Amino acid sequence: MATADRYNTCFVDLQTHPKGLSMYNDGNGVIPTLRAWGLTKTFGAGDVMTTALRDVSIELYPGQLSLLMGPSGSGKSTLLAALSGLLRPDSGRVLCLEHDIWALSEKQREHFRLKHCGFIFQGYNLFPALTARQQLEMVLRWSGISGWREARQRTDAILDLLGLSKKAKLRPNQLSGGEKQRVAIGRALIKEPSFCFADEPTAALDWKHGEQVIELLRAAAHDGGATILVVAHDSRLIPHVDRVFHLEDGVLVEGIERPLSLVAGDTAVAAEY
Amino acid sequence: MSYSLATLWYERQRYLPGVLAVGFSCLLIALQCGLLLGLFSITSIPIDESGADIWIGHPEVPSVDLGRPIPDKWMSFLAQPEVEIIEPFMEGFGYWVKPTGGMELVLIIGSQLGPGAIGPVRQLTAEHRTLLSEEMSVVVDEGEFGRLGITKIGATAEVIGRQVRVVGTVRGLKSLAGPYLFCSLHTAKQLLRPPADQVTFILGKCYKKEDAQKVVDRLQAYPHKISAFTSDGFSLRSRLHWLLKTKAGIALGLAAALGLLVGAVVTYQTLYAATAASLKEYAVLRALGIPRWRMALTVLAQSFWVGLFGICLAVPFILILATVGNDAGAKVLLPWWLWTGAITVTMTTALVSGLLALRSLRLVEPATLLR
Repeated sequence: MATADRYNTCFVDLQTHPKGLSMYNDGNGVIPTLRAWGLTKTFGAGDVMTTALRDVSIELYPGQLSLLMGPSGSGKSTLLAALSGLLRPDSGRVLCLEHDIWALSEKQREHFRLKHCGFIFQGYNLFPALTARQQLEMVLRWSGISGWREARQRTDAILDLLGLSKKAKLRPNQLSGGEKQRVAIGRALIKEPSFCFADEPTAALDWKHGEQVIELLRAAAHDGGATILVVAHDSRLIPHVDRVFHLEDGVLVEGIERPLSLVAGDTAVAAEY
Repeated sequence: MSYSLATLWYERQRYLPGVLAVGFSCLLIALQCGLLLGLFSITSIPIDESGADIWIGHPEVPSVDLGRPIPDKWMSFLAQPEVEIIEPFMEGFGYWVKPTGGMELVLIIGSQLGPGAIGPVRQLTAEHRTLLSEEMSVVVDEGEFGRLGITKIGATAEVIGRQVRVVGTVRGLKSLAGPYLFCSLHTAKQLLRPPADQVTFILGKCYKKEDAQKVVDRLQAYPHKISAFTSDGFSLRSRLHWLLKTKAGIALGLAAALGLLVGAVVTYQTLYAATAASLKEYAVLRALGIPRWRMALTVLAQSFWVGLFGICLAVPFILILATVGNDAGAKVLLPWWLWTGAITVTMTTALVSGLLALRSLRLVEPATLLR
């Protein structure tokens, strides 16, 4: 079945099936947690109009780390923003779990992000006055997910996981770039989100720290079952991810399902493959 | 430590202008009001320093120094079970002809002088009272010698065509309009020459001071047109009259409003700039779905801390400057309600500045973080 037809079929199924997307199965027994189709986004008007996305369709699965690549200005960040509920596309639909993201109200979308989404940005964007521990605790406490005591326990656990236990009381200006990005990853993952969207998370890091970061994200996908989409243009990340997408001039020109055996260090799975 | 307080402390240099502006506003309000209260407390000295609990005067009497003649038979109004002592009181303006030439407006205050008399100011000693029993003798504040054109006790001068002699001095009773001349009731009547059987006020002292209000309430309910006050009430009325009549209240209000405005603008700018500097961090939290009101609460909490630190900074300076002012001869009064008012107004200003600074949160847009 052609891709477009498959999405059309899926669309009909979703509209008619009482349980919606959760009942959708792609035939291999894996249910996509995020599906989008027909995404279009333009900026400006008239002669200066730029098309960032042209009828883009994509499926993302739980427990997978997906990499979205493409040259600068290809629309990668726009696609990430449209998929994550941050930027409304001109047309198209995005289904995350059972929710049609752009059919939700602003408040509902905010609540969805609160419950299900983590974000990592190229700039670390950490509050300069707060310690590493406070940056993470703040998310849990302000989101109402947990009280003070539980927030402290979960924060210390994730700092330990990120290798930052000894840096818990340090502020951003006392941390290296890699450490800061790990705090930012902790901030994104501490809610144990279903989705994590990362925009150029390794761009400001040297390869050693960049590799650490992508491995942390891979672990979050494989061990935590999260659906993770990373936008980057560093091809060295390819061996560390499960799937690679290419976007050029707003068109998702290629979707590569990479053999799991190529995942660095994943020897058991490779042998099975 | 709360996140807002942690931020305030870590970025204290950024918040310092706001703290200083709030502190300056608080200092300005407290000291200006304190100075004005002190200044106008002079007008109520005859009330505050007397032993009377109740004052009865003409129905339209605006202040203690503007008393009008009333019949002395009104003393019978104070024949109440709670009242222990009833006395007449004379007071009025006259011109003092200086021995050195020129004239000076003086306020003549005459009262009974017996050992249990309630009219005289407390500063008049038993010796003073004995000396004042001599006709045409007066006591003045030692600081008024210059205005009166005299140099020593024993000096004489003409007041409303009668020769008076200064028989003693007191301290701390300088007047605003014209120097006080403290004398006996008889001397005051000789100088002021009121109509027969007329006095200016009738004073009463209760067995229990707290009964004064009850007696006053009872008197005010009488069909007769009289003005009855407790000493505290009449003191406040006298001060307010001069405060409003001299337009000093308007000047005070404008100066205080200006101080508050400066404080509010600087605090608003400080908080706005601080919030704007953290827009990217707030944008990440918005992307994570943290509701905007949580961030608004943080900004408001910061405005609260700015207000609190500003007030804490201002308090010692207010106390020091008030002490310096009092030592220098200016009277600065800082009653508890003035402290409460100044702190409340200052804190409100800081919080309003915080509310205005919330506008900056509208600039928080998570999509801008994506490159």
